[in-house]
Amino acid sequence: MSERFAPDNLEATLGRVLGIGVTLSTIALGAGLASALALGDSLLTMTLLTAGVVMLIATPVARVVISCLAYLRRRDWTFVVLTLIVLGELLASIVAAIRSRT
Amino acid sequence: MPVVSFALAAIIFVSGAAAGSVGALLGIGGGVFLVPLLNVALGLPLRNAAAISLTTVIATSSSVSAGRSGEHLINLRLGMLLEVATVAGSLLGGLTAHLFSEITLQRLFGIVTAVAAFAVLTRVHRRNVVRDESIDPGLLGGRYYEDESGGLVTYRVKRLPVGLLASFVAGNVSSLLGIGGGVLKVPALNAWCGIPMRVAAATSAFMIGVTATGGAIIYLGRGDLPPLAAAPAVLGVQLGSWAGLRLAHRLPAKWLKILLVVVLLLVAALMFVRSTR
Repeated sequence: MSERFAPDNLEATLGRVLGIGVTLSTIALGAGLASALALGDSLLTMTLLTAGVVMLIATPVARVVISCLAYLRRRDWTFVVLTLIVLGELLASIVAAIRSRT
Repeated sequence: MPVVSFALAAIIFVSGAAAGSVGALLGIGGGVFLVPLLNVALGLPLRNAAAISLTTVIATSSSVSAGRSGEHLINLRLGMLLEVATVAGSLLGGLTAHLFSEITLQRLFGIVTAVAAFAVLTRVHRRNVVRDESIDPGLLGGRYYEDESGGLVTYRVKRLPVGLLASFVAGNVSSLLGIGGGVLKVPALNAWCGIPMRVAAATSAFMIGVTATGGAIIYLGRGDLPPLAAAPAVLGVQLGSWAGLRLAHRLPAKWLKILLVVVLLLVAALMFVRSTR
């Protein structure tokens, strides 16, 4: 078996990143929902819900960043470039989103 | 921003649970059903429906991929290569998506999914895996342990351009239709690219999060994503993906493919009905 197919711990690392992101976001959104039911449209409700949504959307971005760093450490340049292209597009979306606000 | 009523929250929760389980079984985030449900059936504006749908797709992708890590079903190299095509598609989305009218787009989507359903149906009994460790999986292929085959199985990637095209189109229509595009990626990978059904589903589930993120960021920035609607979506997804991952282990690949055919035919019918409205 070549090295490529040796047990790949990148999958486990990325799984952990995605798991932590989606769990934190679920906790914040769940608490926000509870706060919305109990307190209505309060500052606490909006803070929790906004934090939850931002963490949810940031999770796939974090996954691409960590993949890129992992390929960089392995000096797997093809995949460093591929993940950088993906990251560049996600950053372009953030720039477009900020522009559309102003 | 629309007010999120209790009834709407309950419907989003159930839809999230459905999306999570279909995502775990088939690698499809369910956006293709959720958008018409929210938009046509519940009268939510399209931009809000698409934003909520993309959020559900992201939650499904993260939740399913996290729950699946350690099974070696996600083909990371293939996924990250296809993500580049998806990204290029969504970057060009603003330019190319307006080449067709909405009705033409729906008809094209209907035809594509109907053809995909037929292609998967003809291959229900054919497996893309071989139990031969001497076969070189190549640069993008892989090996994994499968209970159903009783050992380590190998697969090779064929017709890569078809997978790249499906990923490009998925990204292209993603923010417009509010979908992650798993409904295009999974049949393309399984029926044409030589990818085993379980790997196609796991790799698609992994990719749709990134496909949906670009659009979700834009909708969030424009204030089209009601944060309260994201809460029941994510809670539903967590429940659905938990159940779906447990069921996915027990179902043979043949049944996963039959389920995929049913879903694709439903999508095709839905698109044709919407295009005649």
